[in-house]
Amino acid sequence: MATLRNSFKEMLRYPSAIIGSVIILLLVIVAIYTVIKIPYNTAINLWRGGEEVWYQNPKFAPPAWINFFSSKKLPVSFAVRTTDGTLNKIVTPGAQGTSTIDISYTFDFQYDDYPQEMLLYFTTQYAQKQPFVSIVWLTPDGRKIRVDDLGVSQKQTLRFSQDERLLQRLNGANPMQALFEDPKTHAIVKGKYQLQITGTTFEPGSDINAEFVFHGQVFGLAGTDQERRDLVLPLLWGAPIALAFGLVASLGTLVLTMIIAAIGTWYGGWVDELIQRITEVNLVLPFLSILVMVGTFYSRSLWVILGVTVLLSIFTGSIKSYRAIFLQVKESMYIEAARAYGASNFRIIFMYLIPRMIPLLIPGLVSSVPSFVFLEASLAVLGLGDPVLPTWGKIINDADTNGALYKGYYYWIMEPAALLMITGFGFAMLGFALDRIFNPRLRDM
Amino acid sequence: MSQNQLLHIEDLVMHFNTTHGAVQAVDGVNFNLDTNRAVVILGESGCGKSSLAKAILRLLPRNVGTYSGRILLNDMDIMALSDEEFRQNVRWASISMVPQAAMNALNPVIRVGDQVSEPAIVHLGIDKKEALSLVRKMFQHVGVPEDFIERYPFELSGGMRQRVAIAMALVTSPALIILDEPTSALDVLTQANIFNVLKRIKKELGASFILITHDIATSSELADDVAVMYAGQIVEMSDAKRFFDEPLHPYSKKLMSSVPRLHGGKEPDFITGQPPSLIDLPKGCRFAARCPSRFEKCVEDPPTIEKDGRRVKCWLYS
Amino acid sequence: MAVETQSATGGVKSTLVNSTFLRVGRYTLVRLVTVFATVVVGVYLTIMIANMGGYVDQIMKNDIRDRFTQMLSTPAYRNMSADARKTLLEKSIALEEKRLGLDTPVAVRNARYLVNALTLNLGRALNMTSDSGSKEVRLIILERLPATLLLMGTSELFLFFASVLLALTLSRRYGSFWDKMVITLSPTSAAPPWFYGIFFILFFAAILKILPFGGMTDSPPPDNPIDFALNVMKHMILPASALIISSLFLSIYNWRTFFLIYSSEDYVEMAKAKGLPARDIERRYILRPTLPTIITNFALLLISTVSGAIITETVFLWPGLGRTLYRAIGLYDTPVIVGTTIIYAYLLGITVFLLDFIYALVDPRVKVGGN
Repeated sequence: MATLRNSFKEMLRYPSAIIGSVIILLLVIVAIYTVIKIPYNTAINLWRGGEEVWYQNPKFAPPAWINFFSSKKLPVSFAVRTTDGTLNKIVTPGAQGTSTIDISYTFDFQYDDYPQEMLLYFTTQYAQKQPFVSIVWLTPDGRKIRVDDLGVSQKQTLRFSQDERLLQRLNGANPMQALFEDPKTHAIVKGKYQLQITGTTFEPGSDINAEFVFHGQVFGLAGTDQERRDLVLPLLWGAPIALAFGLVASLGTLVLTMIIAAIGTWYGGWVDELIQRITEVNLVLPFLSILVMVGTFYSRSLWVILGVTVLLSIFTGSIKSYRAIFLQVKESMYIEAARAYGASNFRIIFMYLIPRMIPLLIPGLVSSVPSFVFLEASLAVLGLGDPVLPTWGKIINDADTNGALYKGYYYWIMEPAALLMITGFGFAMLGFALDRIFNPRLRDM
Repeated sequence: MSQNQLLHIEDLVMHFNTTHGAVQAVDGVNFNLDTNRAVVILGESGCGKSSLAKAILRLLPRNVGTYSGRILLNDMDIMALSDEEFRQNVRWASISMVPQAAMNALNPVIRVGDQVSEPAIVHLGIDKKEALSLVRKMFQHVGVPEDFIERYPFELSGGMRQRVAIAMALVTSPALIILDEPTSALDVLTQANIFNVLKRIKKELGASFILITHDIATSSELADDVAVMYAGQIVEMSDAKRFFDEPLHPYSKKLMSSVPRLHGGKEPDFITGQPPSLIDLPKGCRFAARCPSRFEKCVEDPPTIEKDGRRVKCWLYS
Repeated sequence: MAVETQSATGGVKSTLVNSTFLRVGRYTLVRLVTVFATVVVGVYLTIMIANMGGYVDQIMKNDIRDRFTQMLSTPAYRNMSADARKTLLEKSIALEEKRLGLDTPVAVRNARYLVNALTLNLGRALNMTSDSGSKEVRLIILERLPATLLLMGTSELFLFFASVLLALTLSRRYGSFWDKMVITLSPTSAAPPWFYGIFFILFFAAILKILPFGGMTDSPPPDNPIDFALNVMKHMILPASALIISSLFLSIYNWRTFFLIYSSEDYVEMAKAKGLPARDIERRYILRPTLPTIITNFALLLISTVSGAIITETVFLWPGLGRTLYRAIGLYDTPVIVGTTIIYAYLLGITVFLLDFIYALVDPRVKVGGN
């Protein structure tokens, strides 16, 4: 395998090859990490999960780190709950089986804009008598605003922006603004805010648990979409899917094209003619249109699309170039020798013809991956993507359907677009460099 | 310098660079040719013969390295000309070439007649009609039927294409015509025909030829002078008669004795070893490694010695 | 041995023209038949794929139902009772379905659809209407076709000429800065046009606000034709640029490599040796012999762009065939989807044929029965 080592050394001479390889390596690592850390079923369940899974996140929220680049700091989302101790809870037993449960949370608000929403999710346990809670809001400048007093059932949600009593108390003002600003100047008051919940239970064994969810305007590493889903999930999972689709399609097409070209060249005659005719017909078939038809009428499953893609990609012009090379090899001396010793046609094709081809095929293999990756993304953007899988194209599709470009949710499109670009360019750069190394006609340059 | 001297080449050097090193294809060639004489340049493959032809016409490869020397054409130093002047005044105007494998030298998508008339239009300043009549005359000389003017190269046989290439080299009536292996791709009958054509042209048009070949036998008919090239240098130059009677340089002797003869039961000789790599040339005489007559002095590069109007680069004659 | 020809230069020329004409003419005819046959097979396959789930049958049946329902609501049938009309409707539909062979095996049905497709009888849309108010798929599609041709045509022509000419220049400057720049930028062609389209819209329309977000003209469009044309051109800048940029650098690189390889051909060196001026060499010895391959590659480029432009048109809201297809997908309008695919097949067939024709004109080695 001296040629392999030589080729490797050659590769090092091209910076594009190095950059491309590094990118691909990183992608593979991310893909492997993702598949291990968030297994397939978990990912699917998360992705398809609705409010129950994602309720803690705001909608259409850009990623939290954009605050670095802006002078106007947007509030970051968070969620705390009593069940894991992030939300402070003190139980004080009282007389006759009652108890007082004090739940409080203090947080520092140093932002220049209001949050989207605040919610309290109560889970209680009781037999007959409902527990009762009193909610009070303490501002940094010493004001105390009573939010609500209510009995809570087993599962109860309180939305600050829609709570009737709070709205009344604030004279119809938007609670998200009123709770955070000075009543006279309407300027945002920054500092430590405290949420106090005083709960009373009336039975032994009765309990109150709460979760305080703060929908800021930014969230997490990648932001959220219209269903509050953390975009990190599809961004991560897009990697293994894109790689899988790209590589399988590329490899599949290559192998099948080669086999068919080899068979055609070897048997010649009507087999060859037939293959030529099929190629001509395939040329006239509108590729994307047919995929659209298949996706709309039959199935949008990734495997089906992959299969049809490969099928339509086999009989293309590349058969002609493989044919040319095969014809050359076919007439060569050692093939004659093989026939002389009685090797079967099958054996000749697979043991002689095809191995000669492999170094010439590698650049094409790598270079065609981006087009398949973008094909999958294209179909997803059209709304024909796999309905179950979280892919980069799906993110763009969701963004487009929700008018992201017009509403200024640029992150939503930029993040998957950037990943698509990096993937595409990574493979393209490597493939390009490989072509200049392996292509004999270019080697003299 | 005699009045009849057409070409005087002095210390012509052409190297080109490869990833393995500089190939010293033409390495200090000195050469003279008189008017209306044909010189045959003999030598093994890879000795730099074709490179010499290209060096004279300034057809430099993309990876050319050193290119220096003096080439006097009728007392004009053409090496000193600018590229544009060279193109206008030397290429085809004064020196033309029939390349090796002329089958590939013709543009596949342009009709034969148009191609052959191109240099005439460019260099003689005549119009298309005049040029085509010139082409017809040339075709007559070389034996190509006139209606081939409208044909495309792929419609002609190999032998015909070779003749077309010769016609093309003649169309501007240049003073010097370089032919690089003009018949190596042809059958013996066509070979003989071509050589007859060349002899006729030499007589009728008064041109001079440089004939590069390794086919000693056939070219001996045409040759007035013979030059022998080895490892990028001319090792012997002499008039043809004396050369074929008695070659001087050991290499020339070996070359001549390797030609099979019809009569005389002697088996053809062969030369042991291989010519040196043009990248890694040995010090001293380049033929020493294979020379049967080598002696101590051969570790130094021999000078070119003149002997009765013959020139030989060998210590044996010092 | 020389053959005497009696004709003067004029006579020679007319025979030349005649032979070219004959050769190209014969070749064109053969190719026309071949390409047509290919298109027929292609359209049949399309129909077959579409009808595997019976969707084309559905189109036909809906079409029949529509027609008869319309017919029965005309004044001529006013006098019948609702029940009687209903019975008549069902009977007529059943009869018509039988007549059109909708009860015959799949292969026969598909063959009939094929004939329909070839005569451009593409049925009626389910939900979509053409601008003129008709529901005929053919009209819906044909109304949108010019917009697509305009955008694609302009972009492709620009791309073609720009890349070939720039590549020719570049091949003379092997190893220069621009050469290296083009090589470095070639991988940018991995991304499809709509990808660049998104960035362009973001930058030029959303942020800089100097070019429109999409569409073909402002609404309402300007009255006088010159303003209209200028307005269309203004709207065409971003989508055309996206289409061009996405293929430009790879295109230039491929042509430049191609020219470099072909400029090392023996006959090019011969031309140099003959002392021909550089421009002549470029035109007649590099460009002309490679023209056939250039044209073939251009054909393939055209084909892939035309069929892939669906998303680009959608992203830019360009009112062309691609966008129609996109809307049809959303509306699940089967007849339009199938009809558009068939029209695309025609476009591809026409492209293949046209470029074959030009190829024959340009390469004298091409003749009937050759490859």
